[in-house]
Amino acid sequence: MNTQKIMNNLLDIFKDVLDEDDIELTAQSTADDLDEWDSLTHIQLIVAIEKHFAIKFTTSEIHGFKNVGDMCNLILEKNH
Amino acid sequence: MLFNSITFLFFFVVVVSAYYALPHRFRWILLLLASYFFYMSWKVEYGILLLISTTTVYFSAIQISKTQNTARRKAYLGASLLINLGILFTFKYFNFALGSLADTLRWLEFDYTSPTLELLLPIGISFYTFQALSYLLDVYKGDKEAERHFGIFAVFISYFPQLVAGPIERSSHLLPQFHEEKVFNYDAATSGLKLMAWGFFKKVVIADNVAVLVNQVYNQPTEYTGLPLIIATFGFAIQVYCDFSGYTDIARGNARVMGFDLMKNFNRPYSARSLSDFWRRWHISLSSWLNDYVYTPLVINKRNWGLMGVMFALIMTFFISGLWHGAAWTFVLWGILHGIGLAIEVLSKKKRKKFRKAIHPLIYGSVSLVVVFLFVNFTYIFFRANSIDDAFYIVSHLFTGLPAQLLPSNLNYMFNTGIVEVFAITKIELIIILSSIFLMESVQLLHEKKNMHVITAKMPAIARYFVYIIVIDFIVLFGKYGRQEFIYFQF
Repeated sequence: MNTQKIMNNLLDIFKDVLDEDDIELTAQSTADDLDEWDSLTHIQLIVAIEKHFAIKFTTSEIHGFKNVGDMCNLILEKNH
Repeated sequence: MLFNSITFLFFFVVVVSAYYALPHRFRWILLLLASYFFYMSWKVEYGILLLISTTTVYFSAIQISKTQNTARRKAYLGASLLINLGILFTFKYFNFALGSLADTLRWLEFDYTSPTLELLLPIGISFYTFQALSYLLDVYKGDKEAERHFGIFAVFISYFPQLVAGPIERSSHLLPQFHEEKVFNYDAATSGLKLMAWGFFKKVVIADNVAVLVNQVYNQPTEYTGLPLIIATFGFAIQVYCDFSGYTDIARGNARVMGFDLMKNFNRPYSARSLSDFWRRWHISLSSWLNDYVYTPLVINKRNWGLMGVMFALIMTFFISGLWHGAAWTFVLWGILHGIGLAIEVLSKKKRKKFRKAIHPLIYGSVSLVVVFLFVNFTYIFFRANSIDDAFYIVSHLFTGLPAQLLPSNLNYMFNTGIVEVFAITKIELIIILSSIFLMESVQLLHEKKNMHVITAKMPAIARYFVYIIVIDFIVLFGKYGRQEFIYFQF
């Protein structure tokens, strides 16, 4: 598991949950950057990510996500 | 002390003058004394409750931030929540809870009369309790440092412009402002005064005049069927918006004169194209509070229930919102209706997206706006009705006799010769209301494109004073004065 692989997986998940083929993700991407990323899809993204990587986030971790980069780092941590 | 009173005018002038006359380090004392004086002008005992809330939250926040021990932190949080929500429950919901229990038992054929507490609902308690708890929860989550200065913290909880009807402020936004030394800023002060005048205009010219019509119908709904019920409901939509946003404008303008920024509470709510959009535009401080402290934790906690979890969180959150507004089943029903409406919106998301792509954006936009507005108005029936029975009567008689009422001769009677008999207002008053609404909408639309304060400041002095005189004349001549309190005071 490395950052690039995780980002690729995340991109697939985002495309699927947000129902958009035309997405670009960087570590700095936030909900402001993507139209379909609202409070509803946010929780659907979290669930999809948890399922895909077989991990569980705590409430404070979810609370602490500032951007996609944060998610990525935490996924990396939990996969060790 | 009502905002629309001479007493308040004096109070305002005295406090603002003293504020700028005093050096920064004494200002919090002035604000604290002024705020408690303002609050206790309703009832001296209210000040004691306010002080209890302030002290318990101040103390527990400091204890929570001093320790890493999870059990201790939870204990302090729990105790503080128990005390503050307990006070809120006792004064606001005790009679309602026990009364409802008694009704249920009697319906099940048990002979039971509930005890009632003879307690007056302390004004503003729903607002300051929520404001205090948001601070406590932010400290617990680690998002905010506990405030050490008790006096300043007490000002944050009791600050008179927003004490009785919001906006419900976040500690991260308002608390630091009391630590800053504010210097008199002519531009901010004039902008603040204009905002206050605008709030008064909305409240006493529009809201209080429309209220006469709304009250006439809603206080004896069974005297009416059809069109008057519909008109009164739309009237209430105008009334509650002008009343509440007017209050918010006065509060924000008031604070701005002293150099403080209070958050916006309304953003042209009736232009919303979806129900979730509506709730990002109406009573923003409460919606975001509920979103951050109720909806989000719930939806995260229930995320493995999928869409069911989201539905659950929505309906729970809006059930609480309804209850927050009042200890009555009409408010609860109002809240639940919004919860269900939002749930339907969530479920229909994909279908609506397909629909939107298929039709012309202008048509989709207009239809959405109308649908949302009609739905919100439908729920207002429950919000305003004096009882569940009244609400159901109104709903079931909304269209009764409507075709006949729409005949030109009958319309002419209703809005012309018979207007006083039907709506208790005169034709002149109706014209004032309609033209004021038109004025309000034009100004607010213009303000979106170009800030009204900047525009008026740039006008030549004669034109500017002409505008001021017109607005003040409207307020003085057409304003309805009497004991019509701000609607949200009862919450």
